[in-house]
Amino acid sequence: MTLRLAALTATAVVGLSVSAHAADVKIGYQLPLTGDTAQYGQDFRKAAEIALDEFKAADKPFKVEIVFEDSRSDAKEGVNIARKFVDDKAIVGVLGDFTSGVSMAAAQVYKEAGLAQLSQTASHPDYTKISKYQFRNIATQAQEGPYNAKWMASKGFKNVAVIAEQTDWGQSVVAGYTEAVKAGGGQVAFSEFFNRGLKDYRSLISKIERAKPDAIYTGFFYEDGAQFLKQLQQLGVKTPVYSTSAAYSPKLLELSGDAADGLHLTSNFLPTNPDPAVQKFVAEWKKRSNGAEPGQFPAQAYDAVRIMLAAVEKAQPNPTRESVRDALAQTKDFPGITGKTTFDADREANKELTKVEVKGGQFAPVKE
Amino acid sequence: MSASKSRPQWVLPVLIGLLVFAALPAVLASFDRGYFYQIANLALIFVLLSASMHLVTGVAGLLHLGHAAFYGVGAYTAALLTTKLGLGFTWTLPLSGLVAALVAFLVALPTMRLVSIYFAVATLAIGQMLYLVMLNWVEFTKGPNGIIVTKGLELFGFSLSGRLATYYTVAAVVVLCVVAIGRLSHSYYGNALRSIREDDQCADAMGVRTVRLKMEAFTLSAFFAGVAGSLWAHMTGYISPGDFKFSESILILAMVVVGGLGSLPGAVIGALLLILLPEGLRGLGDFRNIMVGMVMFLSILFLPKGLLGEVSALRLVRQQLGAAWRRTDNGIGIGWR
Repeated sequence: MTLRLAALTATAVVGLSVSAHAADVKIGYQLPLTGDTAQYGQDFRKAAEIALDEFKAADKPFKVEIVFEDSRSDAKEGVNIARKFVDDKAIVGVLGDFTSGVSMAAAQVYKEAGLAQLSQTASHPDYTKISKYQFRNIATQAQEGPYNAKWMASKGFKNVAVIAEQTDWGQSVVAGYTEAVKAGGGQVAFSEFFNRGLKDYRSLISKIERAKPDAIYTGFFYEDGAQFLKQLQQLGVKTPVYSTSAAYSPKLLELSGDAADGLHLTSNFLPTNPDPAVQKFVAEWKKRSNGAEPGQFPAQAYDAVRIMLAAVEKAQPNPTRESVRDALAQTKDFPGITGKTTFDADREANKELTKVEVKGGQFAPVKE
Repeated sequence: MSASKSRPQWVLPVLIGLLVFAALPAVLASFDRGYFYQIANLALIFVLLSASMHLVTGVAGLLHLGHAAFYGVGAYTAALLTTKLGLGFTWTLPLSGLVAALVAFLVALPTMRLVSIYFAVATLAIGQMLYLVMLNWVEFTKGPNGIIVTKGLELFGFSLSGRLATYYTVAAVVVLCVVAIGRLSHSYYGNALRSIREDDQCADAMGVRTVRLKMEAFTLSAFFAGVAGSLWAHMTGYISPGDFKFSESILILAMVVVGGLGSLPGAVIGALLLILLPEGLRGLGDFRNIMVGMVMFLSILFLPKGLLGEVSALRLVRQQLGAAWRRTDNGIGIGWR
């Protein structure tokens, strides 16, 4: 028990000494910097640092600092961090978390405290419904599903198979897409979920093949995607594969090699986009990551940070938590590298999607 | 003589009571930071989880690798009763424990005759099974979407969602449960469980009903884990299967082992250490996990019996908390020495 007192006092001292750094405004960023999903969190931090450095270089009349806290994609830690951010009166807005689960557990705290939370990736359908303080900078599957269903229907695919990872996001992939396919008169011959990190997709693939679909629609991230595509190639399956923007990562190509060729997917970010803002970000990213290209998630994080910074700037001279939230809600046509962002009345970002096909180991935008 | 020997029996409980219900809340209130309250509550919940695992793994000696699943069953019971039937914490608290205990009882039936590593693997499978049910039975548990628990802590209609009220509720429940676990593990009942751990065949030959006792310990421990689950569900307001995965079972096991197998005070200290340390080390950034790992490694290396091993714990409990040795008025010595 005395140990706990000592530890509490210790954390108090650490906490106080940290808050002694004077910055005009602070933004909290909770993200997984360690643990199973650390690769995403590390990317977000890098993207946020690029955004913040650019902001500082622009010589604004006020200072902003971003406080990064590691949640390990663990709800316990996410809630602790949320309480910590709420306690720090200098924090006027929060970014993160990565997974919907942690974002939603933390959201209960932000809702109660009245602190705006903008996640770059939380895609759970109910996330923004928690309160008026939850925002996201990602296309939901309610947008992407119908878009892809229409795209595939235009190619003449009437009978499709759907697979997705067994997460809240995977659930929304299947729900959003299936509904749209049925509305468009097509039919879903087979749908199944798999657990993240599955190594052997062969039984799943043979089940898909038994259903004889015209095409396969998939909800996976790059790690699982690469495994799936490689095994598909090994089994000699030629059925066309479509996927969501979540698979849009250079690491997908790196891990799957030529197995990814012919994969169709959507994206709201293309590193080859000639827009100077995009090129500036890509150049800066490459400089900080040994020449690697950024995927879609870091781009979303970069935009989310810039949207938050813009809201803080708009709320000057005296930004409060409430005024930053209101400024965020008013975000309209924000010129981001993932397209123009506008928050609708439900605090959802409506993203423009681009059609992409993998050709010769490269993502190439296609017209249809 | 009898006065001086019997006095300590109430001193330590009163001191701990004062610390938990007066000193600590006073410190928390003086800082008035939600963060400290949160950590205190979380630490208390894990004290309960660790103490409940202590009963089955520490005292009865059954290596349990699926404890977090029963914590999850409790949390899901609370969440589903709240969202589907509109019941409040008053009802979900006992019901979560009972449902977790019932599930434990049912899965224990076929596994109880297994020993040592075979039992451990069986509990590993049970934990995974329950986790997969939470994850994949989408119609019932909402699967990976998780459940938003709409009601906070309350008792008979009185809201207990204020910071101090939440702390007191969690603390009261946890202290009550830990006292109950203390009575179970420091009594003839606890000794019977220890005899199973030391040599179950010998215990069997001496007339101890080993299978039944193992089953009881397993079920009781699940009951307390379920209670902890309902605390977590109502306190956080959102639960998803990820909160109850295998790594949580291992975290709880680590708490019990670092604290000292078979030692209830050790289990409590282990839980406090492994919750407070990672939070306290936040300032170290990416290195904090390594530091936590180092602390665990060194503590096992140099204190293999735990921070407060079973022998010292038994001495402490018997002399300070239980019936210490004393002479009655007619000169007969009774109690623990």
